[in-house]
Amino acid sequence: MRVVIGEDNALLREGLVLLLTSAGHQVVGVADDGPAVVPTIIERRPDIAVLDVRMPPGFRDEGLRAALAARAAIPGLPVLVLSQYVEASYATELLGAGAGAIGYLLKDRIGRVEEFLDALDRVAAGGTALDPEVVTELLTRRRDSPVDSLTPREREVLALMAEGHDNTTIAATLVVTERAVSKHIGNVFLKLGLPATDGGHRRVLAVLAYLNNA
Amino acid sequence: MREAVRRAGRATVYLAASAGLTFGSYLFITVLLCTVIATVAVVGVAMLPETVLLMRRWAGAKRTWAGAWRGERIPEAYLPLTGPLRRRLRHAVHDPGTYADLRWMVAQYLYGWLVCLALPLWPVGLAVDGVWSGLLGRQPFVLPLIGRLADRDAAWSARLLRPTPKALLTERVEKLTVTRADALSAHDAELRRIERDLHDGTQARLVALSMRLGLARRAYDADPATARRLLDDAQDQAEEALAELRHVVRGIHPPILTDRGLAGALRALAAGSGLSVGITTDATDNAPRAPAAVEAAAYFVVAEALTNAAKHSGAEHAEVRLAHTRAGLQVIIRDEGCGGAEERPSTSVPLVGGSGLLGMRRRVAALDGTMTVTSPVGGPTVIDVELPCVW
Repeated sequence: MRVVIGEDNALLREGLVLLLTSAGHQVVGVADDGPAVVPTIIERRPDIAVLDVRMPPGFRDEGLRAALAARAAIPGLPVLVLSQYVEASYATELLGAGAGAIGYLLKDRIGRVEEFLDALDRVAAGGTALDPEVVTELLTRRRDSPVDSLTPREREVLALMAEGHDNTTIAATLVVTERAVSKHIGNVFLKLGLPATDGGHRRVLAVLAYLNNA
Repeated sequence: MREAVRRAGRATVYLAASAGLTFGSYLFITVLLCTVIATVAVVGVAMLPETVLLMRRWAGAKRTWAGAWRGERIPEAYLPLTGPLRRRLRHAVHDPGTYADLRWMVAQYLYGWLVCLALPLWPVGLAVDGVWSGLLGRQPFVLPLIGRLADRDAAWSARLLRPTPKALLTERVEKLTVTRADALSAHDAELRRIERDLHDGTQARLVALSMRLGLARRAYDADPATARRLLDDAQDQAEEALAELRHVVRGIHPPILTDRGLAGALRALAAGSGLSVGITTDATDNAPRAPAAVEAAAYFVVAEALTNAAKHSGAEHAEVRLAHTRAGLQVIIRDEGCGGAEERPSTSVPLVGGSGLLGMRRRVAALDGTMTVTSPVGGPTVIDVELPCVW
């Protein structure tokens, strides 16, 4: 895949380049401050952009704004946003457009190389990758919501769905059969009153929209 | 002759004894006098602050009355008379307000009787003005004198009772000294907490991580399976260290405050609070921002208040209002819950119930701000926080 990186910290930038190239990807552009991100992306037309939230000049949420601007310029452009810390409200903003192909992860997750590359592929393919910490925050947000009526297993399935995983991965993570996962998902959708949808990011978006408004 | 000498001798002895006794009496009287003076002085010393307090209340009543007559508020500025006796004494004696009150009281001796003129003015006024104004239709001139009298009295009293700039400054300095000490100790405790978190948490984890890496290196060739397990452990340790670091950073200064400003950060906070929270702010997008310490204090206060509301009040809804006043930042948090929030000193019941409110109060006080909590049983609970700052 052709990747553009937006990251101001040289140490992390080099690390990311190394990691991506060793995984067989091609880093076609690097931006080290907020204003440079969008022009680089428009010029290089990558398959995916990996952006840090905090970048010069303001060291605030330049990367997040750049992600939204880039997606406005190139609709559907896959963007993976990385951050030192996660905020559920940022996830809401990123997912607001509803087009999928969005990832929002803690930088810590880069350490789990396999999982990180998997998330990258998922986002590039139009899916979603949401940090478990964001999902936890979304799940614990509301008192007395229907989420409380789920069994622990169903909650696990819901969380993994919200993170953007497909049935196969969920089954592998929870060490159950895919049939069992499908059954749990059916129950979750029933209990939350969501219309049943087939797999894919449409389902993730429905779940996230539900959690956001709950 | 002999008789005379003997008598004189006896008399001399008597006189000598008497002189001794007299001398003793002198001593006794002196001691007694000293004792009496000392007793009076000690009691007097203990009474002085109380007397000054009484005088303040007296002057305060006059301020209220004179202020009401003049249609203004006459401010007062006193050093606080609290704490140990020595401090109260020092404040009572050093307070310029004490002397201002004394001056006013002495002045009352001199012009205070003038107000009695009002009584004889009434019959005279009724008679003279009755003829002059009632019959002849001219402007009354005696009865208005009573009003003039009141004006004079109020004006003089106001002038005497209004604190001098020096008194106002003295009060301000005293208040700042106290809040500065509070701020320093709060800052101190905060630094210690951060140091402890970093040392006991993050650093310990990094040491454990480094140890595992060292062990993995040793096992690398001979026992690859063990090396792999150690590396897994090391990665877990690294992730936990990162999570802890994030937690510490959030406690120092929530990153979203930097990114989004106070209103934005509060909106994110509200979304995760478990309540439906309405946030209103009078700030425009390009309004100047409050200093970081003020924003952080406001953020933590709202966070604590919303947590309390979600946990104890049973309310479904809360309101947070941000207002930029001339004096600084005002934050009002209101919930329609069951009320009855109490401030309990944290020493008796640490980290339970009221100690949250107390912690909020400390945080606010450290920035020279004020916090008022009204929470009648049955609700609503309203927390009004004002944090002074320059825009």
